[in-house]
Amino acid sequence: MTTKPETPVLAIENYSLDYDTATGVFHALKNIDLSVHRGEILGLVGESGSGKTSLAWSIMRYLPKNAREPGGRILLSGENLLEKTDAQIEAFRGRRISMVFQDPSTSLNPTLSLGTQLAEVLVRHRGLTRQQAWKEGEAMLDRVGLKTPASMMNRMPHEASGGEKQRVVIASAFACNPECIIFDEPTTALDVITSCQILDLFVELQAETGVASLYISHDLALVSRTASRVAVIRRGDIVEQGAVRDIFANPQQDYTRELIAAVPDPARRLVGDIVVDTDKPLVRVENVSVHYGRKPFLAALTGRATERVAGNNAISLSINPGEILGIVGESGSGKSTLAKAMTGLNRFEGKIWFDGREIRSLGDMDNAYRKDVQIIFQHPDASLNPRQKISEILSRPLKLFGDASHLDQKVGDMLEQVRLPRTHAQRYPHQLSGGEKQRVAIARAFASKPKLVICDEITSALDVSVQASIVQLLLELQKASGTAYLFITHDLNLIRQIAHRIAVMYRGNLVEIAPAADIDSQDRAEYTRRLIEAVPRAAGQYL
Amino acid sequence: MTDFIKRLLRTPQGAIGMLLVLLVLVVVLFGPMLAPHDPETLAPLARYKGPSAAYWLGTDQYGRDIFSRLLIGARATVVMAVLATIAGTLLGAFVGTTSAFLGGRADELIMRTIDAVMSIPSLLFALLVVNLLGSSTVNALIAVAIAFAPGMARITRSVALSVRKQDYVNAAVARGESSAYIILREMLPNVIAPIIVEMTIRISFAVMLFATLSFLGLGAQPPAAEWGLMVSEARRYMHLSAGILIWPSVAIAVVAVGFNLLGDGLRDALNPRT
Repeated sequence: MTTKPETPVLAIENYSLDYDTATGVFHALKNIDLSVHRGEILGLVGESGSGKTSLAWSIMRYLPKNAREPGGRILLSGENLLEKTDAQIEAFRGRRISMVFQDPSTSLNPTLSLGTQLAEVLVRHRGLTRQQAWKEGEAMLDRVGLKTPASMMNRMPHEASGGEKQRVVIASAFACNPECIIFDEPTTALDVITSCQILDLFVELQAETGVASLYISHDLALVSRTASRVAVIRRGDIVEQGAVRDIFANPQQDYTRELIAAVPDPARRLVGDIVVDTDKPLVRVENVSVHYGRKPFLAALTGRATERVAGNNAISLSINPGEILGIVGESGSGKSTLAKAMTGLNRFEGKIWFDGREIRSLGDMDNAYRKDVQIIFQHPDASLNPRQKISEILSRPLKLFGDASHLDQKVGDMLEQVRLPRTHAQRYPHQLSGGEKQRVAIARAFASKPKLVICDEITSALDVSVQASIVQLLLELQKASGTAYLFITHDLNLIRQIAHRIAVMYRGNLVEIAPAADIDSQDRAEYTRRLIEAVPRAAGQYL
Repeated sequence: MTDFIKRLLRTPQGAIGMLLVLLVLVVVLFGPMLAPHDPETLAPLARYKGPSAAYWLGTDQYGRDIFSRLLIGARATVVMAVLATIAGTLLGAFVGTTSAFLGGRADELIMRTIDAVMSIPSLLFALLVVNLLGSSTVNALIAVAIAFAPGMARITRSVALSVRKQDYVNAAVARGESSAYIILREMLPNVIAPIIVEMTIRISFAVMLFATLSFLGLGAQPPAAEWGLMVSEARRYMHLSAGILIWPSVAIAVVAVGFNLLGDGLRDALNPRT
């Protein structure tokens, strides 16, 4: 950052982008001015729908047919990309500018080996022969920190973990020493520890090659960890840009301030620490195990042993009335499996004691149990039936669990309880925003006045600012109703703000349960400490 | 809705299909009113006539006006085909969705049974049903409906399997809804789009299957003006006048092609990604 060359590697000047839609022209980007110099990382931060990814695609010159470009220039080392022909652009892509996508499991072709896909780039853009490309590919995989590059080249994408796949994608992005690389949320689909490692790798490679990087993310804390400069984008407008330190220490715009405030900070607790410690917990989970897969019919007949996949191994925990118990862990650690077992969506072995009653199997979960234990899912898009009106969605639990009189009145009350206008009852889910949909899902869960609400990653599909308001709403509802929460998340910063106790899970096992205040103490299990270290620090700590 | 029709008409298949189906619909609704002659009046002196001002498409072996017979027969042919397809589709969609919802052993049992039924060609199966129940129009309808149900069940199940994994179905299970509610209210409305597309394509199969049944003498009985029956009767006289055979065949082809193209158009229009 000391000596900036005269011309930036990537310069976007007064660029605008429109989409023709059935309902008229949508302005996706408005007069964008950005520049990325050699050796620099520019972070581009914004909520979903703010135009981050549209910008990435216009730089790559890969826009849908209904895109219109009213004006502006995109310069790569002084050459205007907008004036290039398709053939010229094809030669550019991968050679001089490349891109790393969000989800490595979908950006790699599942039918080709990793080596073939990596060598393809080298053959295409550097004119190597197959053998040379293969050798070079191995060297690259070694460079991105994969332990056995030779055997990794021969593996298929499904034989590699998410982190390994993302390393391969990064290797192919760096393969031709491009001038500029666009990273589109490269760690969002990965779990905390892996994404921490990927970020370290990214910073290392970036320093080594001096490539100009545009790092797109919705997570301010993450961007502040890698980027030197940050641009904040909102509804297609760059509202503010500057050095990381300035943005955090002295944000100029209200929107930036809101974004910074919405980032969860474990030092700022949102609930009291008083846990009512009773002898009689609301729920006691005793040695609950979940296995996936069913015995094939023939195997059952012949008595052949079959291997089952364990989702949970003998989990035991308890939740007190009115308590918020957080469960954290990587993806695949069995958090959601436990939630599903407790709501009767998975068969389980072991016992669940609820309110003094013993539940041994799905058959014991009667109407009263289902009324008292409610679940809210991660994606509000998927958990609300797209063909039903909000009024129908909300009136179902009333009909099932309560009296069905004055339905319209009650549905309206429920909507007001979650701070939505009563008129939303007549809408369909696709007419609501993500945050509004999640509020409807919350209203549905609270309709039966439950004693325990299981929140399964309910904020991870939402933007940071929306997440903050949803969490606020949950805490208010908790205060009013005294409901206990089982709050499942992978966001440690968030859970440290709101939970009374935190349970850590790893590969189907419960590692430990600790009070939220003590989760970062040195006495914790080794895995917990690694998890805490991997989490990006809260935004405020960069000051 | 207008937006949807606009999308449908934007593709050439959709536009042409829509046009042909509308034409067929007009004939079905107003055919008897438009017919210039009584379809069953015999005219011994005007047999095997070619097209003329009085008989637009000529006359058949009894001197009946082919054009009038086609207009009147449309009701029997097309309405029957549509009804049979709808009945078969409803049955198949329900079985398929139920199978996907139940999963596990029940799913296995239902689907293997359907596989067994599907291994019999649909025409053979329809023949079997008609033979068992006796030959009449209603029985032919039942036969075609039953012959179609397994295929629809397969298609519906594959769509319903992905719907089954959606969280709104999980939410319904978790709150203890009855299976019937989940299948009918939560799942079926969400598998309807691909079913409608498949249905329009199958209507053309049904028209041909009915025509075949009538041709073999197992569907409508003479002197009905059903198109397949007309082709069947014309077979013996085709060396005297080709028109008797050609015109009903063309009518069947127009309906089949029309619904097929409409199905293609619907598939594109219902798919939000295109």
